[in-house]
Amino acid sequence: MSSDPSIEVQAQHAVLPPVNHDELARENFVRAYKQFLVKHVHGGNRARYERTVKPAFERAHRRAPQDRFEVRDAMATDSYYQMFSTLLRTSQEMMWSACQKPIVRNHQTLNERINERGGPSVVGGTLRLDPELSIPHYHTAVDIHCQPGGYHSEFTPADASPGMLYDRAVHVYAMGQMGAYNDDMGASIAAWLGHHHPEFQPRRILDLGCAVGHSTIPYVRAYPQAEVHAVDVAAPMLRYAHARAEGLGARVHFSQQNAERTDFGDGSFDLVVSHILLHETSEQAIRRIIAECHRLLAPGGMMLHAETPPYRDLDPFDAFMLDWDTRNNNEPFWARSHEIDLRELSARAGFDAEANIEMLIPSAFQQAKARRSAVFQGGDFGGGGLWFVYGNSKPRVATRAKRISARASV
Amino acid sequence: MTLPRKAKGERPYFFDDPAVDRVIAMVMGLAGEVAVMRDRLDTIERLLEQRGLLARRDIETFVADTRVTDERAAWREAFLGEVLRIVDIEREALSTGDTASYDDAIANVTDTAAPRRRSRTARKRSAASR
Repeated sequence: MSSDPSIEVQAQHAVLPPVNHDELARENFVRAYKQFLVKHVHGGNRARYERTVKPAFERAHRRAPQDRFEVRDAMATDSYYQMFSTLLRTSQEMMWSACQKPIVRNHQTLNERINERGGPSVVGGTLRLDPELSIPHYHTAVDIHCQPGGYHSEFTPADASPGMLYDRAVHVYAMGQMGAYNDDMGASIAAWLGHHHPEFQPRRILDLGCAVGHSTIPYVRAYPQAEVHAVDVAAPMLRYAHARAEGLGARVHFSQQNAERTDFGDGSFDLVVSHILLHETSEQAIRRIIAECHRLLAPGGMMLHAETPPYRDLDPFDAFMLDWDTRNNNEPFWARSHEIDLRELSARAGFDAEANIEMLIPSAFQQAKARRSAVFQGGDFGGGGLWFVYGNSKPRVATRAKRISARASV
Repeated sequence: MTLPRKAKGERPYFFDDPAVDRVIAMVMGLAGEVAVMRDRLDTIERLLEQRGLLARRDIETFVADTRVTDERAAWREAFLGEVLRIVDIEREALSTGDTASYDDAIANVTDTAAPRRRSRTARKRSAASR
């Protein structure tokens, strides 16, 4: 396998846990393991389905499986799919385990360095934590994508270890396809905006569910004049995100808030973004988040949310494969979030459904192009080379009808 | 500090017998550590070569003398003995006649009037010998 070695290398920054020889080798093994699964194993599922599982279903039912649930029941007993699934689940567990080792070894030094950043800022970013904020049930029910302890758990006072772990693991998970700084989702949206809306120069930008701020920083780079804010419910992520951004010379104002209801004023942002946030929430939360986006946007403002594509355009087998994470990678809202009617979601939040944006945009990280598998899941997150973006915008000038209804609701 | 190893949430098993999933996870865990060791050896060889202490073709053309061959053969046998210990346990029991049911050992120290139920192991054993 000839692959560009440079995309295997995560860029070192001030607070990324450094790895020793064997720790890096262990991460590289997991990268290779995942790459092997998507390149040489994943495709066999489709072959098994077409050649064995589907014909057997058709013999028994005198028709083809009509939805992903029927495909799932039929595939569940297929030994090839069982082998693929157990290998993929194991790769995910090995990924977290491998990435934990440098963190445990470096924790004391790094955690001190990270918390020092809570003091005087290097480039003017800020960190505002809220110990009273309750962690939503959709983050505490199970540890999302099998990260032990999830985003929010703290294992030492003022712990930032979940952030350290997430930063290393995302690079392994995406097999480097999101760039040396894991910033491809933000960079791709910023590039799309620059290309299609060069006149749009947001003065205030908000990133919802920012985790370690890996997707936030591209907006700082793209709009150096803008004031960039980012929120997350998890304090350990934000401690790390703040130190990380300062270390990378990017001015971001981080605050611990739930995207369903923030403390920013009405109309205070020109651009509100999120990156693979929506599928990690809940049916209620997603509606509240979009309503919050509507409240936060100024006239002429835009919201853009990066996700994996909805199921509606996929055949039952592809929908079934994309759904793998729902049950097998602790992503309980994954399936439902991919079925939500996005036009209705926008309309209920107060947006004009006709102005909905639902599109696939190209990845800004061209270096990874050659090795992408062009599938969206099967363990290859980011392998599609495209990001699905859902969004909407507020009219520059409120229409007369809307002004009246707004007045009526006061 | 220590971190939790298990993610909260029920772990899925895919094969009819979850033992298969467990064995595969063990094999992949071992494969990972073999890869780590292989990388380390590769680093050592490259460093030695860089510093002029070793030419890697010398490894390829290395001919083990009798002493080395014997030492390696002995190591391999001992290694296999460790890995295949579970098979050896069975063979050893057969050769020494140590084949009595463990239930006999319990009966030996238990009041015979007490109600007894054969263990799962014993039931499996009699099923396997059928």
